[in-house]
Amino acid sequence: MERAVLEMHQITKQFPGVLALDKVDFDLYPGEVHILLGENGAGKSTLMKTLAGAHEPDSGTIVVDGREVRIRNPKQAQALGISIIYQEFTLIPYLTVAQNIFLAREPLRWGMRGLVDRDRLYADSTAILKTLGISVDPRSVVSTLGVAQQQLVEVAKALSLNARILIMDEPTATLSDQEIEQLFGIIHNLKSRGVGVIYISHRLQEVGQIGDRVTVLRDGRSVGTYNVADVDINTLIKLMVGREVMEKADRRSLPNAPEALRVSHLHRNGVLHDVNLVVREGEIVGLAGLVGSGRTELARAIFGIDPFDSGEIVLLGKRLVATNPSLSIRLGLGLLPEDRKSDGLALILPVKDNVTHASLTRLFPSFILDFRKERAIAERYVRDLRIATPNIFRQVGFLSGGNQQKVVLAKWLATQSRVLIFDEPTRGIDVGAKAEVHDFMRQLARQGVAILMISSDLPEIVSMSDRVYVMREGTIVKELEGEDINQETIIGYAMGKGEGQ
Amino acid sequence: MVAAIKRVPGIVYVLVALIMGFGWFIPGFFTVSNFLSVIRQGSVLAVVSLGATLAILSRGVNLSLGGVMSLAGVVTGVLMHRGWSIMAAILVGMATATAAGWLTGIVIAGAGIAPFVVTLGMMSVGEGLALVISGGASVPGFSNAFQVLGQGYLLRVPIPFWIAVMAFLIVHFILRDTQLGVSIYAVGGNEDAASLSGVDVRRCKLQIYLIGGILAGVAGVVLASRMNSAHPSGGMGFEFDAIAATVVGGTPMSGGRGGVVGTMVGAAIISIMRNGLNMLGLPTPWQMTIIGMIIIGSIALDALKSNR
Ligand SMILES: Nc1ncnc2c1ncn2[C@@H]1O[C@H](COP(=O)(O)OP(=O)(O)OP(=O)(O)O)[C@@H](O)[C@H]1O
Ligand SMILES: [Mg+2]
Repeated sequence: MERAVLEMHQITKQFPGVLALDKVDFDLYPGEVHILLGENGAGKSTLMKTLAGAHEPDSGTIVVDGREVRIRNPKQAQALGISIIYQEFTLIPYLTVAQNIFLAREPLRWGMRGLVDRDRLYADSTAILKTLGISVDPRSVVSTLGVAQQQLVEVAKALSLNARILIMDEPTATLSDQEIEQLFGIIHNLKSRGVGVIYISHRLQEVGQIGDRVTVLRDGRSVGTYNVADVDINTLIKLMVGREVMEKADRRSLPNAPEALRVSHLHRNGVLHDVNLVVREGEIVGLAGLVGSGRTELARAIFGIDPFDSGEIVLLGKRLVATNPSLSIRLGLGLLPEDRKSDGLALILPVKDNVTHASLTRLFPSFILDFRKERAIAERYVRDLRIATPNIFRQVGFLSGGNQQKVVLAKWLATQSRVLIFDEPTRGIDVGAKAEVHDFMRQLARQGVAILMISSDLPEIVSMSDRVYVMREGTIVKELEGEDINQETIIGYAMGKGEGQ
Repeated sequence: MVAAIKRVPGIVYVLVALIMGFGWFIPGFFTVSNFLSVIRQGSVLAVVSLGATLAILSRGVNLSLGGVMSLAGVVTGVLMHRGWSIMAAILVGMATATAAGWLTGIVIAGAGIAPFVVTLGMMSVGEGLALVISGGASVPGFSNAFQVLGQGYLLRVPIPFWIAVMAFLIVHFILRDTQLGVSIYAVGGNEDAASLSGVDVRRCKLQIYLIGGILAGVAGVVLASRMNSAHPSGGMGFEFDAIAATVVGGTPMSGGRGGVVGTMVGAAIISIMRNGLNMLGLPTPWQMTIIGMIIIGSIALDALKSNR
């Protein structure tokens, strides 16, 4: 067998109060995709950061190409041929795509130190984007791009290094199926060129789709490395979570429950047209559709972030022809936004404050905080959602990516809104926690809360929804109930099949 | 950067409106001599504002510029009074300012202390040293050869203007065509991300405040020459006008976007404002009030625009 391009031995990393990595072994061969699995907070990102020069391990050795190395900063990692796509966004918002791709590695004019050759910067970026089949203008400013396009730019940036070791930390969390196909194509191409890829994901179906080997981390320890061909998904889940995860779909039909939210003839020029939907108290209604079909835009219009041109919303009996977020919250509507990384959290504040932020006026109408009450609420959500944090006083910025998402979720659950819109509630959340979030949503529904759930995860839509609306090109094309709720039917309507019949 | 370019026309209208307005109300505003005097004054502000913009682009701030200006002017003046040659005196004055900028940068980059705190301290150090060196009084009366720098003409245009143009071109070039320039925008846009991408954040910050020191030195020497006197508090208040010029010129305090083209227009607006209000006979306290309101207004406008 070929020599490993990377070997990590007994890597240990201690953070204040958390042993993030405990004597982890890991290796990577040229031309393979090695998948890293584990619950939120298991230590996956931390292990990768020791390779990228973002953290130094406390102990253990890293061997690249047979030579022991110490990686102290990102530059050294790059020099060793290690490139990483971080779980968090690392693009600079107001620089152009090309400037981001080549940040700190700009092509030099006349070979002079410090002088950027802008012509080559854009020419080279155009070439890279073209070979990857990514249609983004290298001159556009990153902050004007959508989340998925930004993710593709991150990919281009990582690949522009010509790395031999490529790390991808949840690259598909924000991509649509089509873009995921595109990414997998790129990965296959890299494999054939002998690049070793380390791939982290919570979408377990991806293990079989592109993985060669898989390593599972649990609580900072490696619990085993397997050939993908030799294990099935259930075994992997058991290794990750340490127990069996059971999800039971049960669908309810509540045609006579009072209406909590009704949207009629909602129209927003060029984005939404003639949208009609109803969510009843106690119902979980799925909103399915392809990325770009207008689901997030609809949620934003209902909540009042974006205006709408005509139409009407009836929220808990109140007729509205225009909305805004503070009014919506006051009337009892909550929205868990899709882009949690930038919209959802105050990273330097503790978990406790983030959980209670959106409900302070509800909890403390006299504006005087009751710390014991605040603590009790925060502790309850940390327990219920199994947020991995040493205590509720830890800064949210220090939590793992998935646990940060759970904090956002807790924040909106704590508002005790009577109508909740969830935009991709379990994206980036591990299988075990996903089941708990689902249970929690069902409990809320049982208590009479009306839930509108946007999700690109079809199994989630199918198992959770009492009813489903399918959106396409800015409008609702189909309402499904009971037996009709299955993946094939939903995909069909989402892609526009069955039209004109 | 695109955002800044889009915004430039907006403030250019403000500038034109201001000029027309003052011209309408103030007899003698539209005279060559007044025009030249605005240019002489505005050029000094323009040079310092470049330094302020660099700091703000990186999401920092530089309050030490005025103090360092005073220091550079006083050092140069005192040395000339001691019989040093003009060249040597200017060189040492500039070197002092550069050293002050370097020190500021080292503390900010090395110790990771907030620029606001460090430069606030350095403002005091600069003013303090200027007072010590000058013995507390202004240092007046220089040779004609030195006065040329601030009062002379080249091609019928005041020399300070040419100095400001040079400084502008250099800083603009740094921002557009060098790795340092890209790093400054990157650090201001998202410091952690910049660092993870391999940007040497510390070096970038050091260079920002070093260049700030140099620009303050140039401004201080030109100011002393223009006034034919180095005053230990001559630079006082320039740091605030420089911040105002930056913000009015479309670079938000939150950093990461904007640029020095807008800052130059901002510096012109502030200078014409001061000149016009002066000619209207408005006392300094009222001038301060009005300029303060302009700053708040332009920040509010920026906030409203980006919240839309
Ligand atoms: N900079 C830091 N300071 C303190 N603790 C940290 C820091 N970074 C990570 N941790 C802690 O280390 C543990 C492992 O985190 P890590 O980000 O590696 O998890 P992960 O496996 O990537 O999870 P996820 O799937 O949620 O992304 C977590 O308990 C986290 O809170
Ligand atoms: Mg992670």
